Amino acid sequence: MSADRVLQSVTCLGCGCGCDDLTVRVRNGRIVELSPPCPLAKRWFGDGTVPHEIRVDGRPATIEKAIEAAAGVLSGAGRPMVLIAPDLTTQAQRTAIAVGDILRAEVDGATSDSAAAGILVAQRRGRAAATLGELRNRADVVLFWAVDPSERYPRYLERYAAAASSTHVRRRTLLSVSVGTDRGPGEAELKAEFTPGEEVNALAVMKATVRGQRLGELPPRLRPAVAIAERLMKGTYVAIVHDAEAGRDARDAQRTESLVALAQVLNGPTRAALSSLRAGGNRSGAEAALTWQTGFPMRVSFREGHPRSRSGRSGLDRLRSGGADAVLVAGSVAALEGPGLALDKVPCVVIGPGASAVAGARVAIDTGIAGIHEPGTGYRMDDVPLPLASVLENPRAAAETLGLLLGALRRRAAGRAR
Amino acid sequence: MSGTARLRIAGGAVHDPANGVDGEERDICIEDGRVVASLPDGAPTLDARGMVVMPGGVDIHAHFASSSCNHARRLIPDEHTADPAPAPALIEGESRSGSGGTVPSTFTTGYRYAGLGYTTAFDAAVAPLLARHSHAELDDTPCVDGGIFALMGNDEYLLRQIERGERDRARDYAAWLLGATGAYAVKVVNPGGVEAWKSGQRNVTGLDDEVSGRKVTPRAILETLTDAANQLRLPHPVHIHCNNLGVAGNAATTLASMETLAGRRCHFTHLQFHCYGGEPGKSWSSAAAKVIEHVNAHPDVSVDVGQVMFGPATTITADAPVEYLLHKSSGRRWTNIDIELESGCGIVPLAYKEKAAVSALQWVVGLELFLLGQDPWRVVLSTDHPNGGSFLSYPALIQLLMDRTVRDDRLKQLNQRFLAGSALADGLAREYTLNEIAIVTRAGPARLLGLRAKGHLGVGADADVTVYSRDPDIAKMFSTPRYVVKGGSVVVEEGQLRRAPAGKRLRLAPGYDDAVVRDLRKHFDAYSSVSFDNYPVRDLPDAPMLLGGRA
Repeated sequence: MSADRVLQSVTCLGCGCGCDDLTVRVRNGRIVELSPPCPLAKRWFGDGTVPHEIRVDGRPATIEKAIEAAAGVLSGAGRPMVLIAPDLTTQAQRTAIAVGDILRAEVDGATSDSAAAGILVAQRRGRAAATLGELRNRADVVLFWAVDPSERYPRYLERYAAAASSTHVRRRTLLSVSVGTDRGPGEAELKAEFTPGEEVNALAVMKATVRGQRLGELPPRLRPAVAIAERLMKGTYVAIVHDAEAGRDARDAQRTESLVALAQVLNGPTRAALSSLRAGGNRSGAEAALTWQTGFPMRVSFREGHPRSRSGRSGLDRLRSGGADAVLVAGSVAALEGPGLALDKVPCVVIGPGASAVAGARVAIDTGIAGIHEPGTGYRMDDVPLPLASVLENPRAAAETLGLLLGALRRRAAGRAR
Repeated sequence: MSGTARLRIAGGAVHDPANGVDGEERDICIEDGRVVASLPDGAPTLDARGMVVMPGGVDIHAHFASSSCNHARRLIPDEHTADPAPAPALIEGESRSGSGGTVPSTFTTGYRYAGLGYTTAFDAAVAPLLARHSHAELDDTPCVDGGIFALMGNDEYLLRQIERGERDRARDYAAWLLGATGAYAVKVVNPGGVEAWKSGQRNVTGLDDEVSGRKVTPRAILETLTDAANQLRLPHPVHIHCNNLGVAGNAATTLASMETLAGRRCHFTHLQFHCYGGEPGKSWSSAAAKVIEHVNAHPDVSVDVGQVMFGPATTITADAPVEYLLHKSSGRRWTNIDIELESGCGIVPLAYKEKAAVSALQWVVGLELFLLGQDPWRVVLSTDHPNGGSFLSYPALIQLLMDRTVRDDRLKQLNQRFLAGSALADGLAREYTLNEIAIVTRAGPARLLGLRAKGHLGVGADADVTVYSRDPDIAKMFSTPRYVVKGGSVVVEEGQLRRAPAGKRLRLAPGYDDAVVRDLRKHFDAYSSVSFDNYPVRDLPDAPMLLGGRA
């Protein structure tokens, strides 16, 4: 019986909040207690046990054989793809991108289509945003646009948008807008509801109000938009919070663009920032690393020998429709959203947590999970990088394993050059 | 040629102004990454006869490795698409592809700096909260030794200490912050103005404005941080971006800032953006002569110019209120990120045009600072990359400094609206010599940064050397060095990048009174979204540099 080990200030990647104030108790190689008791953190950490297998064509193999087999699968492909799935440290993500570079592969992260819309809008027009602590310390008016963070981002309110201690905010006003099945918080000083068909018009009314434009007679259902805009303009610092990840129902494609524009225009009469809620697993880190290494945050193709931004569908979608003849999935396949990938239909290498559970993978190498077994860096939804701890020991780290693969690919490339 | 431990760079015309060498033919001997007095016969030799030999370039002020730069990269995918950068064909080590434009990807940044003969560069504006990101980018920026300047002067904790008159505590905080973030220098941006932007005050305009209703002024912030850096005996003094950047008539603020700090060692950055006469909304003129006159007369003051070069640029600054105004006046894309308890970030891509009156004035003001500055050791070269233009435009700038004909011809092409009465328009005959170029691009910045092993080729110096083929086209000569040696490794041969070693991290860890740590922990517990224990950046490469400051 070993003594308990207690780790403090542990970072959680269970959602994009990146709470780094967790206390984790470990006993006999398992996580036995977690506080504060966030349901997502509990799910994310579990008891910390993960499989430790290495398989080639479904059979146990040594790491050396598995790496050579993986290099063979990937280097022989004409249209390889590298998919950076969740649960990697940014150090591992950087190595995965290097693999994509040497393979002349397509590289994409787990950026959802919904989040991608926000990234593309930001490319076209920029954005007005803030780190989460700025919202905590400045935002005296917070508008929740079609999201109640308590469902998918349980501690967002407590830690950021409605935190008790703040340098500048003495009284906070919460506003809530619901759109179809995307519901805002039930408790708010001012509430409004629009149908999905009305949403973008409502946002246009709000923008016009902020700009001081004459609106004429409005349909009754859009009139609350004026009241909300006027309340926002009375704030000293406004936060508009929306969910950048996919919801239950499809959303108006113009929602994100309209929200970005509204937050920007509010900086005329007051100060404002748009807070885009993002899922966990260090998705934001993959976008950051792709951006600094290639110039593009997602959907990158190295096919021409240098990075290009691919327009259109995500890597995940392209993989589902046969857009690659070999694929490296780096990270947790289980954490990818949407329909199954059918990785048995394409020569596939999986390096990441739970790799050995992926049916049909030619090579599967289990690794630890970022921030549970692997130290490194993880990014919060607001692009703030945080240190990740190694709470439990694990025989194999994703960053090192991807480094072995990169080395093998480089040796092959050097051999071909000779 | 190889990357061997020994190398003799033989017979070149050496420009090593720090050691009083002005174009004399000499051998530079290198062993184990350092310049040595001599080498045995038979050591590998690089024939530099007929060529110009200088220390590797040192960029004292650029923006290339930060979270702000990454936000800027996201804003200019069109530039990246237009400037693909395939992986260079190295003969040793691995190379990476990337993209260019005004804010290149990290590997490409390192390769392009090396291709220009620059071997050391500092990112001049890093929000401490995001220092971890900067170090990750520096890890992926090869060929240059690099470091970061930590942004201060709008940070909640500092403002509270100033308000309470706790200047010693403020100094200890600055020391702690440098060590916690792995930074090299204290950077002040628009003191108090960024906090004002975030609080709803929008900005400060004078040195004695109250900041967000507190009993804190830009003057007090400047004095506190200047004294802190000097008391800590930091190798580089406080690095100041003044209030009122880019505003007509801002020279008065700049001069007032300089006068406030008279007698104290301090560095004013991208001075060009702070030397305008006229009145906001009414007129513009050059006030470069007046400001540089002050610099000439005050040996404690140093500056980098922040020259504007015509063409595309991306403005990236912690001076977020400026970027909002630029966005409103230009209608261009705009990103603003408020950074909790510390700083801000604003980004607007733009282009400087010869036919635009303000752009033309900015170009003239920068050149006037260079040409009227009497001490090149204290008036050094920068474009505030990528704010005034890319670092790739340094060779064109060097040509403007060395060749009056090119300069005057260009001047004739400009919009003349705001140029009446400017010294340059009236005719400035000065042409920089090669030695003066060596001073403003390497020896001077290294000395101002307190980098004793950089910017010169004396015994013990880092073996960072650039060899240029002579060319009557000065811009061409400086844009394509024949050889570049980095830490003893020949990274550029015959104008081609051949090796791309990792650079060293240049950082400090000054001492401080531990009481500040206890106080900071309380502050973090109350207000920060990041746990105090998680704030410092750990496991950085290379040990902190030693300094002769307080223990």
